[in-house]
Amino acid sequence: MRLELRAITKRFGSLVANDQISITVEPGQIHSLLGENGAGKSTLMNVLFGLLHPDDGEILIDGVPTTFENSGEAVRRGIGMVHQHFMLVPVFTVAENVVLGFEPTKSFNRVDYQKATDDIRRVSKEFNLEVDPDAIIESLPVGIQQRVEILKALSHDAQLLILDEPTAVLTPQEIDALMEIMRSLAAAGKSILFITHKLKEVKAIADVITIIRQGKVVGTAEPSASESELASMMVGRDVVLTVQKEPFSPGEDVFEIRDLVVRDDRGLAAVNGVSLDVRAGEILALAGVQGNGQTELVEAIAGMRPVESGTITLNGHDITNASPRKVLDAGLGHIPEDRQRNGLVMSMTVADNLVLNTPRRAPFAKRGTRNLAAVNANAVRLINEFDIRTESPQELVSSLSGGNQQKVIVARELSRDLKFLVASQPTRGLDVGSIEYVHRQMVNHRNLGNAALVVSSELDEVFALADRIAVMYAGKISGVVDPSVSRESIGLLMAGTITETAHD
Amino acid sequence: MTEATPAPAPARTRHAALVWMTSQSPIVVTVLALVLGFFVGALIIITTTPAVLDAWRGLFHSWGAPGDALKVTFDNVGAAYRSMFTGSVFDPAQLWHSMTTGKGFDASLTPISETLTYATPLIIISTGVGIAFQTGLFNIGANGQAVLGGIAGGVAGSMLHMPMILHLPVTLIAGIAGGMVCGVIPGVLKAFTGAHEVIVTIMLNYVIYAFLLFAVLSTAFQQPGQSNDISRTMAPSAQLPPLFGAASGLRVSYGIFVALAVVLFAWWFLDRSSIGFDFRVTGANPSAAKASGISSRTVIVLVFLISGGLAGLAGIVQAASTTHYIDGGFLIGNAGIGFTAITIALLGRNRPMGILLSSLLFAALGVGGRTMQAATGIPLDLATVIQSIVVLFVATPVLVKEIFHLRAAKTEVLQLATQGWGS
Amino acid sequence: MSIAPAPAPTQVATFRPSGRTRIISIIMIVIGLLTALVFGLGSAASAHSSLTFTPINLANAPWHLGRLTLLTRWTNVILGLITVALGAEVFLRQPRRGVMVRFGVVAVLFLLALLLWASRAPGPSQVGYVNVTAVLIGSSEVAMVLIFGALSGLMCERSGVVNIAIEGQYIGGAFFGSVIASTTHDFFLAAIAGMVAGALLGLLLAFLSLRYLVDQIIVGVVIVTMISYLSSYLNLQVLTPYPQYNTGNLAPNLPIPLLSKIPIIGPVFFNQSAFFYLMLVLVGVISFALFKTRYGLHVRAVGEHPHAAATVGINVVRVRYINVVLGGAIAGIGGVAFMASQGQFQPGYTSGLGYIALAAMIFGRWRPSGAVAASVIFGLSVYLSENLQAYSIPISTEILGMFPYIITIVVVAGLIGRVRAPGADGIPYRHD
Repeated sequence: MRLELRAITKRFGSLVANDQISITVEPGQIHSLLGENGAGKSTLMNVLFGLLHPDDGEILIDGVPTTFENSGEAVRRGIGMVHQHFMLVPVFTVAENVVLGFEPTKSFNRVDYQKATDDIRRVSKEFNLEVDPDAIIESLPVGIQQRVEILKALSHDAQLLILDEPTAVLTPQEIDALMEIMRSLAAAGKSILFITHKLKEVKAIADVITIIRQGKVVGTAEPSASESELASMMVGRDVVLTVQKEPFSPGEDVFEIRDLVVRDDRGLAAVNGVSLDVRAGEILALAGVQGNGQTELVEAIAGMRPVESGTITLNGHDITNASPRKVLDAGLGHIPEDRQRNGLVMSMTVADNLVLNTPRRAPFAKRGTRNLAAVNANAVRLINEFDIRTESPQELVSSLSGGNQQKVIVARELSRDLKFLVASQPTRGLDVGSIEYVHRQMVNHRNLGNAALVVSSELDEVFALADRIAVMYAGKISGVVDPSVSRESIGLLMAGTITETAHD
Repeated sequence: MTEATPAPAPARTRHAALVWMTSQSPIVVTVLALVLGFFVGALIIITTTPAVLDAWRGLFHSWGAPGDALKVTFDNVGAAYRSMFTGSVFDPAQLWHSMTTGKGFDASLTPISETLTYATPLIIISTGVGIAFQTGLFNIGANGQAVLGGIAGGVAGSMLHMPMILHLPVTLIAGIAGGMVCGVIPGVLKAFTGAHEVIVTIMLNYVIYAFLLFAVLSTAFQQPGQSNDISRTMAPSAQLPPLFGAASGLRVSYGIFVALAVVLFAWWFLDRSSIGFDFRVTGANPSAAKASGISSRTVIVLVFLISGGLAGLAGIVQAASTTHYIDGGFLIGNAGIGFTAITIALLGRNRPMGILLSSLLFAALGVGGRTMQAATGIPLDLATVIQSIVVLFVATPVLVKEIFHLRAAKTEVLQLATQGWGS
Repeated sequence: MSIAPAPAPTQVATFRPSGRTRIISIIMIVIGLLTALVFGLGSAASAHSSLTFTPINLANAPWHLGRLTLLTRWTNVILGLITVALGAEVFLRQPRRGVMVRFGVVAVLFLLALLLWASRAPGPSQVGYVNVTAVLIGSSEVAMVLIFGALSGLMCERSGVVNIAIEGQYIGGAFFGSVIASTTHDFFLAAIAGMVAGALLGLLLAFLSLRYLVDQIIVGVVIVTMISYLSSYLNLQVLTPYPQYNTGNLAPNLPIPLLSKIPIIGPVFFNQSAFFYLMLVLVGVISFALFKTRYGLHVRAVGEHPHAAATVGINVVRVRYINVVLGGAIAGIGGVAFMASQGQFQPGYTSGLGYIALAAMIFGRWRPSGAVAASVIFGLSVYLSENLQAYSIPISTEILGMFPYIITIVVVAGLIGRVRAPGADGIPYRHD
C-alpha cells in the first residue's frame, strides 16, 4: 500500500498539534517517524487511524483521497496499528482479542471461535508469529502481548502497519525479535510506519526517516545520518546532555537496600533480591528497560508498596515498610514517575502543591490551623528560585505546562530538608530546556553533598547524571558499573545477558 | 518574574464580563437550574391536576374557549407556587394587615420562622455530607446517622435528669455520638475491606429505620401509657428553647445558632485546618495523597466520623427544637432528610456558604410545599421532585447552557466523582 | 492528548486474596458455631422439627409426600459442624476459587437451621412444622424480582455503566404497570408499560452519564429519589382520587401441564406467573447473548477496555446506550412483576430491593448464573425476615427485618475486592 499524508493539520484549542504534515510511505518500506515526546507523533497517528479527525489536509491511499469516520474504517481500508498502550482486553483470550470487531459468526449471531482460531493459526504460521490462541492476555508477557497486537492487525489484512513507540516496554532481545518481524513484514510487501524517539533503533531499521518537531516536519534523513545530526534535528539545536559536575567525592553510605523482595499487583516478585548503596555526594543512576521492577522498587522505597522481605535503611533509620509519612519525615525526597497521578493535585493551586507533603510543618501550620500567608510566601520564594512560570501562586497547577509542573515537584522536594532524593524518570515528556534545568538542579543538590537515586530508562540521561550506574534486569541488579563504560556493555547488562556482582 | 510570563489578561470589557458570568460563574447555572426545575414542576402540576385536565378536556366536548382552559391552568400553577411563597417567606396580605393594624406581627413572621426551623437541621446535616463529598466519599447514610443521633440524644434528653447547663450539652453530644456510631461502620468497612460506601450506607439506613421502630416501641423508651410508636418526651432542660420565647408561637429555636456554628466550623475545617487540607487532597487525588504521607484509611474513617457526627447532631437538634420526642417516622418522612442533604450539598457545591444558602432555599421549598398541599391539595412530594430535577440540572451545567444557548466549555462537569466498586 | 490512557492491566488485576479469605472463613466458622450452639444445643433434646412438602394449594398436587421429622438438636449441631468444617477448609487451604459458592452454601445451611429451630416442637411456636414447598414458593417471588434487578445491573455494568437506579426503575415499572393493568386488565400491556418506564429511566441515566459524563452513581441516586417522590406525588394526586387506576392485580398463575404436577419442583417452578417464566427465559437469553454472541463480545470489550473496543470500530457510547436502556427495561419489568405479586402500587414498598439486587449481582460475580444463585439466597432471607414471626420466635419483627440488609452489607464488605468488576465499570468514557 502506498500511503500519502498531505498537509495534515490538527488543532486542540489554541495548540497546533500537527501543522501541515506531509509524509509518503511506499509499499514494502519501513518509514520512521522520529520526534521528541510531545512533538505530535501520536496525534498524527490517531488522525491516520481514524481516532481523530484532521482539521485540514488529506489522506491518500494508493492515490485515492480517503477519510475515516472511525478506526474500524481505517482497519477495513488496510491500516493496522500497534498502540503504545496495547489495545487488548486483558481478561479476553488471544482469539477473542484478535477477532474483536471482525468476528466470524454462525447462526444466532454466535461468534465462530473455531474459525477464528483456525484463522489465527494460519496467519501466525504465515508470518512466523507463534501465539497460543486460547491464552488469556493478562497471563502473557509484554513481548507476546505486542505480538498479539501485530497478529490482530495482520489478521485484519493490514497492508500498512503503524507501530507507536513499540520498543518502550521491551527488553533488548524482544526488541531484536520485533525488528526481525518488521523486516520480514516489509519483505512481504507491507508498509511500516515506525514511530519512535530512539535514535539507534531508527538507524538500525528504517529505510526513510522523517523528523517532526513541535507538530511540524523539520526534515527527512537517510539511516546513514549520524546520531547527533538526527538528535539536533529532533530538538532543534545541538543538545548538550552533559551537566557541569564537580569532581566525585563520595562520603558515607546514606541509603542502603539489602536483599529486597517486592511483589507487583499480580503477586509476582517484581523486585527479587535487590541490594544497593548510595553514598553522600553521589548520584546513583538505575538504568534498565521499563518494567524490570524499577517502578515497584521506587514505590517500596517511598512506602507506597509493601516489602516482602529485605531491609531499606535511610540515614541509619530502618524505613522498611514504613508509612509514606514516616519515610518523608526520615528525609526522603521523591520525584514520582507519574507526576500528575502521584506528585500533584491538579485542581489545587501552585502554592498548595508546593506544601503538599509538608502542610503541617512550621511555619505552614500552627496547632492544626494552616498559615496561608506563610504558604503563599513560600510559594513566591520557590517560584522565583526555581523559575516556575506561573501567573501567581494562586494559579491552579493544571494550567501550567508539563515542564513547569515538574518544576513545582522539584522545587517542593529540593526545598525540604532532604537526606536522600529518589527521582523516577524525572524528565520524561519534558522539553529540552526543562530537561537541562531539572538535571542542573539535581546535580547542584548532589554537589552540596547529598545523595540521590535517579531511575531512568533513557541512557543519555543516565550517562549525563550518574556517578555510578546500577542496571536492573528482571527484578535483580545485573551490574553496578562506572559511567566510563561503553553503552554496549550497559546494553548487555540491561538485556541480562551478562551480570556482574552487585557490589564493587 | 521572567520574560516568558504571559502578559496579564486585558481588562475585561463589559461583554467579556458577561461571557464570563454565563460561561464560568456557577451562580448562573444554579439560577437557570432552578428556573428549569420550577418549569418542570409546573408541567407536572398541569398534567396531573384534575381541575386543569377537566378544563382542557372541556375543550374537546363543548368547544369552550381555550382561554378558559389556559386561565384554569395558570390559576392552578400560580396558586400552587404562590402558596409555596406565602408559606415559606411572607404573606403580603398578612404583612399589610400587621402593618396597618399593628397587630399580628408574629403571624407575619411565622412563614420565615418555619423556614428557618426547617433549615436548621438541614444546614447541619448537609454540611456533613458536603465535607464527605469534598473528600470524594458519598455519604448516603446521613439519614440513618441522623435517626440514630436523634434516638441517642432522645434517650439522653428524656431519661437523664440534670440541670440544663449540663443536660443540653450532654444531649447534643449523645446525638453526635449516635451519628458517629452509625457513620463509622461504612467508614471502617470502606477503609479496611473496600466495601463501597454507597451500598453499605443505603443498607444501613434500612437497618436503622427498623431499629427506630424497635426503639420507640421498646418498653424503656416508649412514651409511658402509649401503645403508638412514640418515644418519651425530652426534659425541658434538654430542649433547645424557642428564640422568641414560647409565647410568640414562633418555632425558630436556638438551634439556628448551632447550625451557624457548624457552618463556621466547616469553613475553618475545609479552608484553614490541616486535616481539612488532607481531606481535600484525598478527595482530589487519592494516590497523590498517599504519596504525600496521608493515610487514606485514617481519612476515610475520620470523614465518616465527622459526617456521621454532624448528621447525628442534626437529628438531635431537630428533636430538641421542635417535637421534643421521636416517633416511628422521625426524619424519614417526606423527603427523608438524608436525601435532601445530598441535594443541598450538590446545589451548594459542597462549600459551607453554598450549603447555608441552599439549605434556606430547600427549606423554603419544603415549608412552602406544606402550605401548597394545605391550600391547593397538590401533594408536598412535588417539592422533592423539583429538588431532584434542580440537582440533575446543576450536575449537568453543559446541558443547562445548551438549553439556554449559552457558551459552555464542552468538558465542564460538576467537579465530583465517586469511586467504582473495585477500589 | 487524544485519548485518555488506558487502564494499566496490572491495575485491573489487583487481587490479594489471603486476608479477605481469612475474614470470610472466620465469619463462616462463627456462623457454624452459632448454628450448632444456639439452634442446636439451644433446643431441648426431645424437640422435633417437621418438614412438610404438600403445597397449600392442592390443585396441583396429585401426590402426597409424608412429613420428614428430625431431631432438632442433633440436626442443627450437624448442620453447624458442616458449616464449621467448610469455614476451616477455606481458612486452611485458602482456595482461589469457589469461596463464594461455599459462602452461599453456608448461608443456605444457616437459614435451614434457623427454620428448623424456629419450628421445633415442643417449642414456643404454634406452627409445629415447616412447609418447605410454601417457603420455596414464597421466596421465589422475591427472588424473581431480585433476578430481574440483578440482570439489569449486569447488563449495564458489563458495558461499563453502574446502574444504581434499579430501585427507581422498579418503582417506575410498578407504578405504570399497576395503572395499565388496572385499566386494561392485561398483564402483557402492563409489562410493556413497565418496560417503557424502566427504559426511559435508563435512557435518562445513559444520557446524563454518557453524554455529559456526570458521575453515574450520583445520577442514579438522584433518579431513584426523583422517581420515588414522583410516584408518591402521583399516587396522592391521581391514584387516590381515582382508585380505579390502582386496583388489585395479582398476576394469575399459569400452571404448565404435567410439569406442574411434579412433587415440590412442580409448584415451585411450573405453577408460576408469566413473569416468572419470562425471568427464566431472560436468564438464558442474556447468558447466551453475553457469552456466545458477537454482540456480547462487544459489550464485554466495552466494559473491560473501551479504548481497545473503539480502535476496532466498535461504537462504545452506542453499545453503552443500548445496554443501559435494555437494563432499565429489564428492571422495569421487575417492577411490574413485583407489583403483580403484591397486588397494587404503594409508594415506597420496594424498600431497597433494587440495591439488594445490585448486591446479588456482585455476589454473583457479574454472571447471570451467579446472579440467580445469589438472588435465591437473598430471596430466602427476605422472605424469612418477613414470615418468621409466624413461629413466634423470641426476636422482634423489627430486628428480623434488618437481616436481609445486614447480610447484604456482609456480602458487599466480604466480597468486593475479591470479585473482579468489569475493568471500566463506572468510569466515564471520553473520546477526544
